[in-house]
Amino acid sequence: MSEKQLLARLASLEEPAILATIVSSKGSTPRKTGARMLIGKSGVIAGTVGGGCGEGEVIEAAMKLFDGAPPRTVRVDLTDDFTSWSPAVCGGIMNIFIERANPARFDDP
Amino acid sequence: MNPSPARIAARVLEALKEGERIYTAVVTDAADTSMIGRRWWLSGRLHGGTLGSPSLDGEVAAAVTALFPPRESRGALSRDFEYGEGAGAATAKVYIELHGPPARMVIVGAGHIAIPLCRVCAMLGLRVVVLDDRPEFAAPGRFPEAAAVRMIDFRDPFADTRLDPHDHVVLVTRGHSFDYECLVRLLRMPGPPGYIGMIGSRRRVRATHEQLARDGFTSDQMKLVRAPVGLDLGGQTPVEIAVSVAAEVIMFHSRGTGIPLVDKERVVERFFGGRGGGGPAPARTRESYGGPGPGPRTKKEQP
Repeated sequence: MSEKQLLARLASLEEPAILATIVSSKGSTPRKTGARMLIGKSGVIAGTVGGGCGEGEVIEAAMKLFDGAPPRTVRVDLTDDFTSWSPAVCGGIMNIFIERANPARFDDP
Repeated sequence: MNPSPARIAARVLEALKEGERIYTAVVTDAADTSMIGRRWWLSGRLHGGTLGSPSLDGEVAAAVTALFPPRESRGALSRDFEYGEGAGAATAKVYIELHGPPARMVIVGAGHIAIPLCRVCAMLGLRVVVLDDRPEFAAPGRFPEAAAVRMIDFRDPFADTRLDPHDHVVLVTRGHSFDYECLVRLLRMPGPPGYIGMIGSRRRVRATHEQLARDGFTSDQMKLVRAPVGLDLGGQTPVEIAVSVAAEVIMFHSRGTGIPLVDKERVVERFFGGRGGGGPAPARTRESYGGPGPGPRTKKEQP
């Protein structure tokens, strides 16, 4: 999905979702600053912040925002298990901001 | 009221449709936690939302144009901003995005190089415009990926194509005199395109520069022209030349060096003995890049 398609998906949301955005990254990471993922109550709607364990961590944190947790930055460290050969292991660190995305007609209070 | 990311996305799409640049920002960290998640956008003289402090909005508004080079149409970064004064002074981390209309690639000359060049530039996300004075070449059917294909008169080649510093122009016309006519027009523009490339052998490029000098152009103006255009990949076919030009366009935007990553990173030399850690990369020769192919090609001038 191209960035523009993701923006279009985001702009036309019908249900609240969580937007995850890589706001900074260091070292070698699968996706760079600006990459986005849109998460619904039952999982990823569109986009990716790199897949693998890091993404799982983000989705888990995102679910708490549906229950009213405040927006926050999730730090994903891909330098941990360098020898695992998992596709998620790239050797970098990403800061991913997660925030609630309400449909455009319902702006945040 | 804080505009939701959905509303911001809608505003970005609107700006792109209008061909305007838009900056969007969100506070990702602040001592005053109520500011985290506050959003703001700026497009020309229009703006909306707030980062939670008029002072912070002002700081970000003043910084954005310097944070992203004018030729770039897309960008994303995080910065710490100080705002407020005296006892109210504080710092906030702000994530900012730039969205702009896609940059344009104007290919002058709709010949055999233009076809793959149009395709690969479209793949890079550039809006491609192809110009030629021959109707059988300037045919939209030859350039399915082009945003526009236009018939031109080389006496005023850019009459219907207004150019600005965000644009790229590559001159691959059938005749050197046509390339020269275009070049003179481009260099005389008040804000010439940021990327001007011209194909040609060293000899032809030199002849062009001699003519430019005779016509009163300064060496600073001559340096605006990338000629011969492209990176030295050693290719010769139209597709290979198109890739070489496209590679230079990528390098131009990403501030790359154009050297092979194996030489830039030197992982084996650094970590597995060999030449040790320090010192410059060893120069590779044309032969060492030869790979398994048929060996070095004979040198041939570009047509």
